[in-house]
Amino acid sequence: MAENNTPALSIEGLSAGYDGPDVLHGVTLAVPKGQIVTVVGPNGHGKSTLLRTISGLTRRREGRILAEGREIHKLKPYQVAAAGIAHVPQGDLLFPEMTVYENLLMGAYTTSDHDQIAERLAFVYRLLPRLEERHAQVTSSLSGGERRMVGIGRGLMAGGDVMLIDEPSLGLAPLVIEQIYEVIAALRAEGRTILLVEENPARVAHLSDVMHLLDDGRVVWSGAPEALLDRDELLSTYLGG
Amino acid sequence: MDIIIAILVTGLTNGALYALATLGLSLVWGSMGMLNMAHGSMLALGGYMVFTMAVGVGLPVWTGFVAAAAAGAIFGGLLYFGVVRPLLKSGGPGFETSVMIATVGISIALENALLLSFGGQPLSQPFAVAGSVNLGAGVMPWLNVTIVVVAVLVMGAMGFLISKTKMGRAIRATAQNRDAALLMGVPVEWTYLQVLGLAGALAGICGVLLSAVTQLSPTLGADPMLKAFIMCVVAGLGNLPGAVISAFGLALIEAAVQFGLGARWGFPVLLMLVIAILIWRPNGLFGRAQIRRM
Repeated sequence: MAENNTPALSIEGLSAGYDGPDVLHGVTLAVPKGQIVTVVGPNGHGKSTLLRTISGLTRRREGRILAEGREIHKLKPYQVAAAGIAHVPQGDLLFPEMTVYENLLMGAYTTSDHDQIAERLAFVYRLLPRLEERHAQVTSSLSGGERRMVGIGRGLMAGGDVMLIDEPSLGLAPLVIEQIYEVIAALRAEGRTILLVEENPARVAHLSDVMHLLDDGRVVWSGAPEALLDRDELLSTYLGG
Repeated sequence: MDIIIAILVTGLTNGALYALATLGLSLVWGSMGMLNMAHGSMLALGGYMVFTMAVGVGLPVWTGFVAAAAAGAIFGGLLYFGVVRPLLKSGGPGFETSVMIATVGISIALENALLLSFGGQPLSQPFAVAGSVNLGAGVMPWLNVTIVVVAVLVMGAMGFLISKTKMGRAIRATAQNRDAALLMGVPVEWTYLQVLGLAGALAGICGVLLSAVTQLSPTLGADPMLKAFIMCVVAGLGNLPGAVISAFGLALIEAAVQFGLGARWGFPVLLMLVIAILIWRPNGLFGRAQIRRM
Protein backbone atom coordinates (compact mmCIF):
# COMPACT_ATOMS: atom_id res chain seq x y z
CA MET A 1 0.00 0.00 0.00
CA ALA A 2 1.36 3.37 -0.94
CA GLU A 3 2.13 5.72 1.96
CA ASN A 4 -0.41 8.27 0.77
CA ASN A 5 -3.30 5.85 0.82
CA THR A 6 -2.78 4.78 4.39
CA PRO A 7 -5.85 5.97 6.28
CA ALA A 8 -5.28 8.33 9.18
CA LEU A 9 -7.21 5.89 11.32
CA SER A 10 -8.41 2.41 10.57
CA ILE A 11 -10.36 -0.03 12.64
CA GLU A 12 -10.42 -3.70 11.79
CA GLY A 13 -12.82 -6.23 13.27
CA LEU A 14 -13.07 -4.39 16.56
CA SER A 15 -14.98 -5.98 19.41
CA ALA A 16 -15.17 -4.31 22.78
CA GLY A 17 -17.32 -4.01 25.86
CA TYR A 18 -17.54 -3.22 29.52
CA ASP A 19 -18.02 -5.84 32.23
CA GLY A 20 -20.83 -7.70 30.47
CA PRO A 21 -21.16 -8.97 26.90
CA ASP A 22 -19.57 -7.20 23.93
CA VAL A 23 -21.02 -3.86 22.90
CA LEU A 24 -19.14 -3.69 19.60
CA HIS A 25 -19.08 -6.69 17.30
CA GLY A 26 -16.38 -6.76 14.64
CA VAL A 27 -16.56 -3.12 13.61
CA THR A 28 -14.45 -2.25 10.58
CA LEU A 29 -14.06 1.23 9.15
CA ALA A 30 -11.41 3.61 7.93
CA VAL A 31 -10.95 7.36 8.24
CA PRO A 32 -8.98 8.68 5.24
CA LYS A 33 -6.90 11.81 5.68
CA GLY A 34 -8.76 15.08 5.30
CA GLN A 35 -12.20 13.49 5.43
CA ILE A 36 -15.08 13.53 7.85
CA VAL A 37 -16.31 10.04 8.52
CA THR A 38 -19.52 9.83 10.50
CA VAL A 39 -20.95 6.99 12.53
CA VAL A 40 -24.68 7.31 13.09
CA GLY A 41 -27.09 5.16 14.99
CA PRO A 42 -29.57 5.31 17.84
CA ASN A 43 -28.47 5.78 21.44
CA GLY A 44 -27.06 2.77 23.17
CA HIS A 45 -25.82 1.06 20.01
CA GLY A 46 -22.12 1.48 20.71
CA LYS A 47 -21.14 4.78 19.10
CA SER A 48 -19.49 6.23 22.19
CA THR A 49 -17.99 2.87 23.06
CA LEU A 50 -16.33 2.86 19.66
CA LEU A 51 -14.63 6.20 20.33
CA ARG A 52 -13.76 5.24 23.91
CA THR A 53 -12.19 2.02 22.68
CA ILE A 54 -10.09 3.88 20.11
CA SER A 55 -8.84 6.11 22.93
CA GLY A 56 -8.12 3.14 25.16
CA LEU A 57 -10.65 4.05 27.85
CA THR A 58 -12.78 0.99 27.15
CA ARG A 59 -11.13 -2.39 26.81
CA ARG A 60 -10.75 -3.87 23.36
CA ARG A 61 -11.52 -7.58 23.17
CA GLU A 62 -10.61 -8.30 19.57
CA GLY A 63 -9.51 -6.54 16.42
CA ARG A 64 -6.96 -3.89 15.55
CA ILE A 65 -6.82 -0.09 15.61
CA LEU A 66 -4.22 1.63 13.46
CA ALA A 67 -3.19 5.26 13.24
CA GLU A 68 -1.29 5.96 10.02
CA GLY A 69 -0.77 2.23 9.74
CA ARG A 70 0.71 1.94 13.23
CA GLU A 71 -1.00 -0.26 15.81
CA ILE A 72 -2.33 1.80 18.71
CA HIS A 73 -4.77 -0.61 20.33
CA LYS A 74 -2.28 -1.75 22.95
CA LEU A 75 -1.43 1.76 24.07
CA LYS A 76 -2.67 3.36 27.26
CA PRO A 77 -5.11 6.27 26.90
CA TYR A 78 -2.46 8.94 27.44
CA GLN A 79 -0.23 7.27 24.83
CA VAL A 80 -3.09 7.23 22.32
CA ALA A 81 -3.48 10.98 22.88
CA ALA A 82 0.24 11.45 22.38
CA ALA A 83 0.00 9.42 19.15
CA GLY A 84 -2.18 12.17 17.68
CA ILE A 85 -5.72 11.04 18.43
CA ALA A 86 -7.65 13.93 19.99
CA HIS A 87 -10.92 12.87 21.60
CA VAL A 88 -13.71 15.37 22.25
CA PRO A 89 -15.82 13.27 24.60
CA GLN A 90 -19.56 13.14 24.98
CA GLY A 91 -20.88 15.59 27.56
CA ASP A 92 -17.68 17.63 27.30
CA LEU A 93 -15.81 16.23 30.34
CA LEU A 94 -14.23 19.62 30.91
CA PHE A 95 -12.14 20.49 33.93
CA PRO A 96 -14.94 22.38 35.70
CA GLU A 97 -12.89 24.46 38.11
CA MET A 98 -10.33 25.57 35.57
CA THR A 99 -10.67 28.59 33.37
CA VAL A 100 -11.37 28.36 29.65
CA TYR A 101 -7.72 29.19 28.99
CA GLU A 102 -6.45 26.49 31.34
CA ASN A 103 -8.79 23.93 29.77
CA LEU A 104 -7.42 24.82 26.35
CA LEU A 105 -3.85 24.52 27.64
CA MET A 106 -4.66 21.06 28.96
CA GLY A 107 -5.63 20.13 25.41
CA ALA A 108 -2.04 20.84 24.38
CA TYR A 109 -0.62 18.82 27.26
CA THR A 110 1.46 16.56 25.04
CA THR A 111 3.13 19.54 23.36
CA SER A 112 5.91 21.49 25.01
CA ASP A 113 6.71 23.80 22.08
CA HIS A 114 5.43 27.22 23.20
CA ASP A 115 5.25 28.64 19.68
CA GLN A 116 3.13 25.73 18.54
CA ILE A 117 0.82 26.13 21.51
CA ALA A 118 0.45 29.88 20.83
CA GLU A 119 -0.28 29.17 17.17
CA ARG A 120 -2.98 26.63 18.01
CA LEU A 121 -4.48 28.95 20.60
CA ALA A 122 -4.68 31.73 18.01
CA PHE A 123 -6.43 29.32 15.62
CA VAL A 124 -8.93 28.24 18.28
CA TYR A 125 -9.69 31.85 19.23
CA ARG A 126 -10.16 32.74 15.56
CA LEU A 127 -12.54 29.83 15.03
CA LEU A 128 -14.33 30.28 18.35
CA PRO A 129 -14.06 33.99 19.26
CA ARG A 130 -16.41 33.43 22.18
CA LEU A 131 -13.69 31.48 23.97
CA GLU A 132 -11.29 34.40 23.82
CA GLU A 133 -13.92 36.66 25.40
CA ARG A 134 -14.41 34.13 28.16
CA HIS A 135 -10.82 32.95 28.52
CA ALA A 136 -10.56 33.82 32.22
CA GLN A 137 -13.94 32.38 33.17
CA VAL A 138 -14.23 29.11 35.08
CA THR A 139 -15.86 26.57 32.75
CA SER A 140 -18.49 25.43 35.25
CA SER A 141 -20.07 28.88 34.88
CA LEU A 142 -20.46 28.67 31.08
CA SER A 143 -23.59 27.84 29.10
CA GLY A 144 -23.99 24.41 27.53
CA GLY A 145 -23.07 25.66 24.06
CA GLU A 146 -20.00 27.48 25.34
CA ARG A 147 -18.88 24.40 27.21
CA ARG A 148 -19.20 22.36 24.03
CA MET A 149 -17.05 24.94 22.25
CA VAL A 150 -14.41 24.63 24.97
CA GLY A 151 -14.51 20.87 24.45
CA ILE A 152 -13.94 21.26 20.71
CA GLY A 153 -11.32 23.95 21.24
CA ARG A 154 -9.51 21.74 23.71
CA GLY A 155 -9.53 18.94 21.17
CA LEU A 156 -8.08 21.26 18.54
CA MET A 157 -5.33 22.36 20.92
CA ALA A 158 -3.98 18.82 20.81
CA GLY A 159 -3.04 19.45 17.19
CA GLY A 160 -3.74 15.77 16.59
CA ASP A 161 -3.89 14.03 13.21
CA VAL A 162 -7.39 12.75 13.88
CA MET A 163 -10.19 14.21 15.95
CA LEU A 164 -12.84 11.98 17.48
CA ILE A 165 -15.94 14.02 18.20
CA ASP A 166 -18.67 12.36 20.21
CA GLU A 167 -22.20 13.63 19.58
CA PRO A 168 -21.50 17.36 19.69
CA SER A 169 -25.21 18.21 19.53
CA LEU A 170 -26.15 16.30 22.68
CA GLY A 171 -28.32 18.28 25.08
CA LEU A 172 -28.10 21.58 23.21
CA ALA A 173 -30.85 23.84 21.91
CA PRO A 174 -31.45 23.62 18.13
CA LEU A 175 -30.00 27.07 17.49
CA VAL A 176 -26.82 26.22 19.40
CA ILE A 177 -26.56 22.89 17.59
CA GLU A 178 -26.47 24.81 14.34
CA GLN A 179 -23.60 26.95 15.63
CA ILE A 180 -21.66 23.87 16.70
CA TYR A 181 -22.12 22.27 13.28
CA GLU A 182 -20.99 25.48 11.62
CA VAL A 183 -17.76 25.08 13.54
CA ILE A 184 -17.41 21.50 12.33
CA ALA A 185 -18.14 22.63 8.77
CA ALA A 186 -15.32 25.17 9.16
CA LEU A 187 -13.00 22.37 10.28
CA ARG A 188 -14.04 20.35 7.24
CA ALA A 189 -13.13 23.30 5.04
CA GLU A 190 -9.74 23.35 6.80
CA GLY A 191 -9.17 19.78 5.66
CA ARG A 192 -9.16 18.25 9.15
CA THR A 193 -9.56 14.53 9.61
CA ILE A 194 -12.53 13.78 11.84
CA LEU A 195 -14.38 10.71 13.04
CA LEU A 196 -17.74 12.08 14.09
CA VAL A 197 -20.45 10.31 16.03
CA GLU A 198 -24.02 11.56 15.87
CA GLU A 199 -27.46 10.24 16.60
CA ASN A 200 -29.34 12.20 13.96
CA PRO A 201 -28.17 11.29 10.41
CA ALA A 202 -29.93 14.22 8.72
CA ARG A 203 -27.92 16.67 10.77
CA VAL A 204 -24.54 15.44 9.58
CA ALA A 205 -25.22 14.13 6.09
CA HIS A 206 -24.14 17.37 4.40
CA LEU A 207 -20.86 17.38 6.36
CA SER A 208 -19.79 13.80 5.89
CA ASP A 209 -17.66 12.18 3.23
CA VAL A 210 -18.61 8.69 4.32
CA MET A 211 -21.28 7.51 6.73
CA HIS A 212 -21.56 4.29 8.69
CA LEU A 213 -24.77 3.10 10.28
CA LEU A 214 -24.19 1.35 13.58
CA ASP A 215 -26.93 -1.02 14.73
CA ASP A 216 -26.48 -2.94 17.95
CA GLY A 217 -22.71 -2.68 17.78
CA ARG A 218 -22.45 -3.74 14.13
CA VAL A 219 -21.90 -1.64 11.04
CA VAL A 220 -24.98 -2.49 8.95
CA TRP A 221 -24.50 0.00 6.16
CA SER A 222 -21.67 2.17 4.85
CA GLY A 223 -21.56 4.58 2.00
CA ALA A 224 -22.05 8.10 0.73
CA PRO A 225 -24.35 10.29 2.83
CA GLU A 226 -26.79 10.99 -0.02
CA ALA A 227 -27.48 7.27 -0.32
CA LEU A 228 -28.05 6.60 3.37
CA LEU A 229 -31.15 8.70 3.81
CA ASP A 230 -33.03 6.58 1.25
CA ARG A 231 -31.99 3.21 2.64
CA ASP A 232 -34.38 0.84 4.35
CA GLU A 233 -31.67 -0.05 6.89
CA LEU A 234 -32.00 3.42 8.33
CA LEU A 235 -35.64 2.97 9.23
CA SER A 236 -35.18 -0.51 10.60
CA THR A 237 -32.21 0.56 12.73
CA TYR A 238 -33.99 3.49 14.27
CA LEU A 239 -37.49 2.04 14.45
CA GLY A 240 -36.57 -1.60 15.03
CA GLY A 241 -37.67 -4.55 12.99
CA MET B 1 -3.14 42.41 76.17
CA ASP B 2 -0.46 39.83 76.94
CA ILE B 3 -3.06 37.08 76.65
CA ILE B 4 -3.97 38.26 73.18
CA ILE B 5 -0.35 38.08 72.12
CA ALA B 6 -0.05 34.61 73.64
CA ILE B 7 -3.16 33.50 71.76
CA LEU B 8 -1.83 34.95 68.52
CA VAL B 9 1.59 33.36 68.91
CA THR B 10 0.19 29.94 69.77
CA GLY B 11 -2.65 30.17 67.28
CA LEU B 12 -0.51 31.26 64.36
CA THR B 13 2.24 28.73 65.10
CA ASN B 14 -0.23 25.86 65.40
CA GLY B 15 -2.15 27.21 62.45
CA ALA B 16 0.97 27.10 60.29
CA LEU B 17 1.73 23.54 61.39
CA TYR B 18 -1.86 22.36 60.95
CA ALA B 19 -2.03 24.09 57.58
CA LEU B 20 1.05 22.25 56.33
CA ALA B 21 -0.28 18.94 57.61
CA THR B 22 -3.72 19.65 56.18
CA LEU B 23 -2.35 20.66 52.81
CA GLY B 24 -0.66 17.28 52.30
CA LEU B 25 -3.73 15.39 53.40
CA SER B 26 -6.07 17.49 51.27
CA LEU B 27 -3.86 17.32 48.18
CA VAL B 28 -3.91 13.52 48.24
CA TRP B 29 -7.63 13.34 48.95
CA GLY B 30 -8.53 15.91 46.32
CA SER B 31 -6.58 14.35 43.51
CA MET B 32 -7.10 10.67 44.11
CA GLY B 33 -9.91 10.19 46.63
CA MET B 34 -7.43 8.67 49.04
CA LEU B 35 -7.49 9.37 52.76
CA ASN B 36 -3.88 8.81 53.73
CA MET B 37 -4.01 7.54 57.30
CA ALA B 38 -0.21 7.23 57.30
CA HIS B 39 0.21 11.01 56.94
CA GLY B 40 0.71 11.41 60.71
CA SER B 41 3.51 8.88 60.92
CA MET B 42 5.12 10.51 57.88
CA LEU B 43 5.31 13.69 59.98
CA ALA B 44 7.19 11.68 62.62
CA LEU B 45 9.49 10.31 59.92
CA GLY B 46 10.41 13.88 58.97
CA GLY B 47 11.14 14.79 62.58
CA TYR B 48 13.45 11.81 63.02
CA MET B 49 15.26 12.55 59.78
CA VAL B 50 16.50 15.91 61.03
CA PHE B 51 17.61 14.20 64.24
CA THR B 52 19.46 11.55 62.25
CA MET B 53 21.22 14.08 60.02
CA ALA B 54 22.20 16.55 62.72
CA VAL B 55 22.80 14.35 65.77
CA GLY B 56 23.47 10.98 64.16
CA VAL B 57 25.59 12.01 61.16
CA GLY B 58 26.67 15.41 62.45
CA LEU B 59 25.73 17.49 59.40
CA PRO B 60 24.29 21.02 59.64
CA VAL B 61 20.67 21.23 60.67
CA TRP B 62 19.45 22.58 57.30
CA THR B 63 20.46 19.30 55.66
CA GLY B 64 17.89 17.76 57.97
CA PHE B 65 15.13 19.74 56.23
CA VAL B 66 16.28 18.44 52.86
CA ALA B 67 16.58 14.91 54.19
CA ALA B 68 13.15 15.12 55.83
CA ALA B 69 11.51 16.34 52.61
CA ALA B 70 13.35 13.68 50.61
CA ALA B 71 12.48 10.90 53.04
CA GLY B 72 8.83 11.98 52.99
CA ALA B 73 8.79 12.07 49.20
CA ILE B 74 10.44 8.66 48.95
CA PHE B 75 8.03 7.23 51.48
CA GLY B 76 5.16 8.72 49.46
CA GLY B 77 6.59 7.00 46.37
CA LEU B 78 6.84 3.69 48.20
CA LEU B 79 3.25 4.13 49.34
CA TYR B 80 2.27 4.53 45.69
CA PHE B 81 4.11 1.47 44.42
CA GLY B 82 3.43 -0.71 47.45
CA VAL B 83 -0.18 0.15 48.25
CA VAL B 84 -1.96 2.55 45.93
CA ARG B 85 -0.98 1.08 42.58
CA PRO B 86 -1.85 -2.53 43.44
CA LEU B 87 -5.17 -1.41 44.94
CA LEU B 88 -6.02 0.67 41.86
CA LYS B 89 -5.01 -2.21 39.57
CA SER B 90 -7.26 -4.64 41.40
CA GLY B 91 -10.04 -2.19 40.47
CA GLY B 92 -13.50 -2.04 41.88
CA PRO B 93 -15.34 0.74 43.65
CA GLY B 94 -13.82 -0.07 47.04
CA PHE B 95 -10.57 1.84 46.56
CA GLU B 96 -11.40 4.61 49.01
CA THR B 97 -12.12 2.18 51.82
CA SER B 98 -9.36 -0.29 51.13
CA VAL B 99 -6.68 2.36 50.80
CA MET B 100 -7.76 3.89 54.10
CA ILE B 101 -7.45 0.54 55.88
CA ALA B 102 -4.15 -0.23 54.16
CA THR B 103 -2.62 3.09 55.18
CA VAL B 104 -3.70 2.57 58.79
CA GLY B 105 -1.56 -0.58 58.64
CA ILE B 106 1.32 1.27 57.02
CA SER B 107 1.07 3.92 59.71
CA ILE B 108 1.34 1.36 62.51
CA ALA B 109 4.30 -0.29 60.78
CA LEU B 110 6.14 3.02 60.29
CA GLU B 111 5.57 4.13 63.88
CA ASN B 112 6.92 0.82 65.17
CA ALA B 113 9.88 0.99 62.83
CA LEU B 114 10.70 4.39 64.32
CA LEU B 115 10.19 2.98 67.81
CA LEU B 116 12.60 0.13 67.09
CA SER B 117 15.21 2.41 65.53
CA PHE B 118 15.15 5.31 67.95
CA GLY B 119 13.59 3.91 71.12
CA GLY B 120 10.52 5.07 72.97
CA GLN B 121 12.17 7.87 74.93
CA PRO B 122 11.12 11.28 73.67
CA LEU B 123 14.14 12.95 72.07
CA SER B 124 14.76 16.59 71.70
CA GLN B 125 15.16 17.69 68.17
CA PRO B 126 18.25 19.65 67.10
CA PHE B 127 16.43 22.28 65.05
CA ALA B 128 15.99 25.29 67.30
CA VAL B 129 16.02 29.05 67.04
CA ALA B 130 16.98 30.91 70.20
CA GLY B 131 15.71 34.20 71.53
CA SER B 132 12.46 36.09 71.19
CA VAL B 133 11.06 39.43 70.20
CA ASN B 134 9.63 41.65 72.89
CA LEU B 135 6.22 42.93 71.91
CA GLY B 136 5.66 45.13 74.92
CA ALA B 137 2.95 43.15 76.65
CA GLY B 138 4.26 39.75 75.60
CA VAL B 139 7.05 37.90 73.88
CA MET B 140 7.17 36.06 70.60
CA PRO B 141 9.92 33.44 70.34
CA TRP B 142 11.97 33.54 67.13
CA LEU B 143 11.37 29.80 66.78
CA ASN B 144 7.65 30.45 66.32
CA VAL B 145 8.34 33.20 63.83
CA THR B 146 10.64 30.85 61.91
CA ILE B 147 8.01 28.10 61.88
CA VAL B 148 5.36 30.44 60.52
CA VAL B 149 7.70 31.89 57.90
CA VAL B 150 8.98 28.50 56.71
CA ALA B 151 5.44 27.10 56.60
CA VAL B 152 4.15 30.09 54.65
CA LEU B 153 7.06 29.89 52.20
CA VAL B 154 6.50 26.17 51.64
CA MET B 155 2.78 26.72 51.15
CA GLY B 156 3.49 29.58 48.76
CA ALA B 157 5.80 27.39 46.72
CA MET B 158 3.16 24.67 46.72
CA GLY B 159 0.48 27.14 45.67
CA PHE B 160 2.64 28.31 42.79
CA LEU B 161 3.37 24.74 41.71
CA ILE B 162 -0.29 23.74 41.74
CA SER B 163 -1.76 26.86 40.14
CA LYS B 164 0.90 28.01 37.67
CA THR B 165 2.91 25.07 36.36
CA LYS B 166 2.13 22.40 33.83
CA MET B 167 2.63 19.73 36.48
CA GLY B 168 0.16 21.51 38.76
CA ARG B 169 -2.36 21.82 35.96
CA ALA B 170 -2.08 18.11 35.29
CA ILE B 171 -2.64 17.39 39.00
CA ARG B 172 -5.73 19.61 39.09
CA ALA B 173 -7.00 18.19 35.81
CA THR B 174 -6.65 14.65 37.13
CA ALA B 175 -8.50 15.66 40.29
CA GLN B 176 -11.34 17.30 38.39
CA ASN B 177 -11.85 14.70 35.70
CA ARG B 178 -9.65 11.66 35.50
CA ASP B 179 -10.95 10.33 32.16
CA ALA B 180 -10.62 13.73 30.53
CA ALA B 181 -7.07 14.07 31.86
CA LEU B 182 -6.23 10.70 30.27
CA LEU B 183 -7.73 11.83 26.96
CA MET B 184 -5.53 14.95 27.06
CA GLY B 185 -2.48 12.72 27.34
CA VAL B 186 -1.83 13.03 31.08
CA PRO B 187 -0.19 9.86 32.41
CA VAL B 188 -2.50 9.74 35.40
CA GLU B 189 -0.51 7.11 37.30
CA TRP B 190 2.58 9.30 37.12
CA THR B 191 0.47 12.19 38.43
CA TYR B 192 -0.60 10.09 41.41
CA LEU B 193 3.02 9.29 42.13
CA GLN B 194 3.90 13.00 41.97
CA VAL B 195 1.04 13.87 44.32
CA LEU B 196 2.10 11.30 46.90
CA GLY B 197 5.70 12.43 46.60
CA LEU B 198 4.74 16.09 47.09
CA ALA B 199 2.47 15.30 50.02
CA GLY B 200 5.26 13.21 51.54
CA ALA B 201 7.75 16.07 51.20
CA LEU B 202 5.23 18.42 52.83
CA ALA B 203 4.77 15.93 55.66
CA GLY B 204 8.53 15.67 56.14
CA ILE B 205 9.03 19.42 56.43
CA CYS B 206 5.99 19.77 58.65
CA GLY B 207 7.38 17.03 60.90
CA VAL B 208 10.65 18.95 61.39
CA LEU B 209 8.82 22.15 62.35
CA LEU B 210 6.37 20.28 64.54
CA SER B 211 9.00 18.40 66.49
CA ALA B 212 10.78 21.69 67.18
CA VAL B 213 7.87 22.81 69.36
CA THR B 214 7.08 19.39 70.81
CA GLN B 215 9.42 16.44 71.17
CA LEU B 216 10.41 13.59 68.95
CA SER B 217 8.34 10.50 69.50
CA PRO B 218 7.02 7.94 67.02
CA THR B 219 3.46 9.10 67.61
CA LEU B 220 4.17 12.82 67.35
CA GLY B 221 2.09 13.08 64.19
CA ALA B 222 -1.07 11.55 65.63
CA ASP B 223 -2.53 14.69 67.15
CA PRO B 224 -1.76 17.05 64.20
CA MET B 225 -3.05 14.37 61.81
CA LEU B 226 -6.34 14.25 63.68
CA LYS B 227 -6.62 18.03 63.68
CA ALA B 228 -5.59 18.19 60.03
CA PHE B 229 -8.32 15.73 59.16
CA ILE B 230 -10.85 17.85 61.03
CA MET B 231 -9.66 20.93 59.15
CA CYS B 232 -9.88 19.14 55.82
CA VAL B 233 -13.47 18.23 56.61
CA VAL B 234 -14.31 21.77 57.74
CA ALA B 235 -12.80 23.23 54.59
CA GLY B 236 -14.45 20.69 52.31
CA LEU B 237 -12.24 17.73 51.44
CA GLY B 238 -9.81 18.47 48.64
CA ASN B 239 -10.06 22.26 48.72
CA LEU B 240 -6.49 23.49 49.22
CA PRO B 241 -6.91 27.24 49.91
CA GLY B 242 -9.89 26.41 52.09
CA ALA B 243 -7.78 23.93 54.04
CA VAL B 244 -5.15 26.56 54.80
CA ILE B 245 -7.75 29.15 55.87
CA SER B 246 -9.55 26.61 58.07
CA ALA B 247 -6.28 25.51 59.65
CA PHE B 248 -5.34 29.03 60.73
CA GLY B 249 -8.90 29.89 61.78
CA LEU B 250 -9.43 26.78 63.88
CA ALA B 251 -5.96 26.98 65.42
CA LEU B 252 -6.64 30.55 66.56
CA ILE B 253 -10.00 29.54 68.01
CA GLU B 254 -8.42 26.55 69.73
CA ALA B 255 -5.70 28.77 71.23
CA ALA B 256 -8.25 31.34 72.39
CA VAL B 257 -10.32 28.64 74.10
CA GLN B 258 -7.25 27.09 75.70
CA PHE B 259 -6.12 30.40 77.14
CA GLY B 260 -9.61 31.57 78.05
CA LEU B 261 -11.24 28.42 79.44
CA GLY B 262 -8.28 26.14 80.09
CA ALA B 263 -6.21 23.81 77.95
CA ARG B 264 -8.52 20.81 78.33
CA TRP B 265 -11.38 22.66 76.64
CA GLY B 266 -9.51 23.32 73.41
CA PHE B 267 -10.22 20.07 71.61
CA PRO B 268 -13.83 19.55 72.74
CA VAL B 269 -14.76 23.07 71.67
CA LEU B 270 -13.01 22.48 68.34
CA LEU B 271 -15.04 19.30 67.78
CA MET B 272 -18.32 20.97 68.73
CA LEU B 273 -17.54 23.77 66.35
CA VAL B 274 -16.86 21.30 63.57
CA ILE B 275 -20.15 19.50 64.22
CA ALA B 276 -21.97 22.84 64.11
CA ILE B 277 -20.25 23.81 60.86
CA LEU B 278 -21.10 20.48 59.26
CA ILE B 279 -24.76 20.79 60.27
CA TRP B 280 -24.78 24.28 58.75
CA ARG B 281 -22.76 23.35 55.65
CA PRO B 282 -22.58 19.56 55.18
CA ASN B 283 -19.93 19.82 52.45
CA GLY B 284 -17.65 22.03 54.49
CA LEU B 285 -17.13 25.77 54.42
CA PHE B 286 -15.58 25.82 50.96
CA GLY B 287 -16.77 22.42 49.71
CA ARG B 288 -18.74 21.59 46.63
CA ALA B 289 -21.90 19.56 46.69
CA GLN B 290 -20.12 16.64 45.15
CA ILE B 291 -16.56 15.46 45.35
CA ARG B 292 -15.33 13.69 42.28
CA ARG B 293 -14.08 10.25 42.92
CA MET B 294 -11.90 7.71 41.27
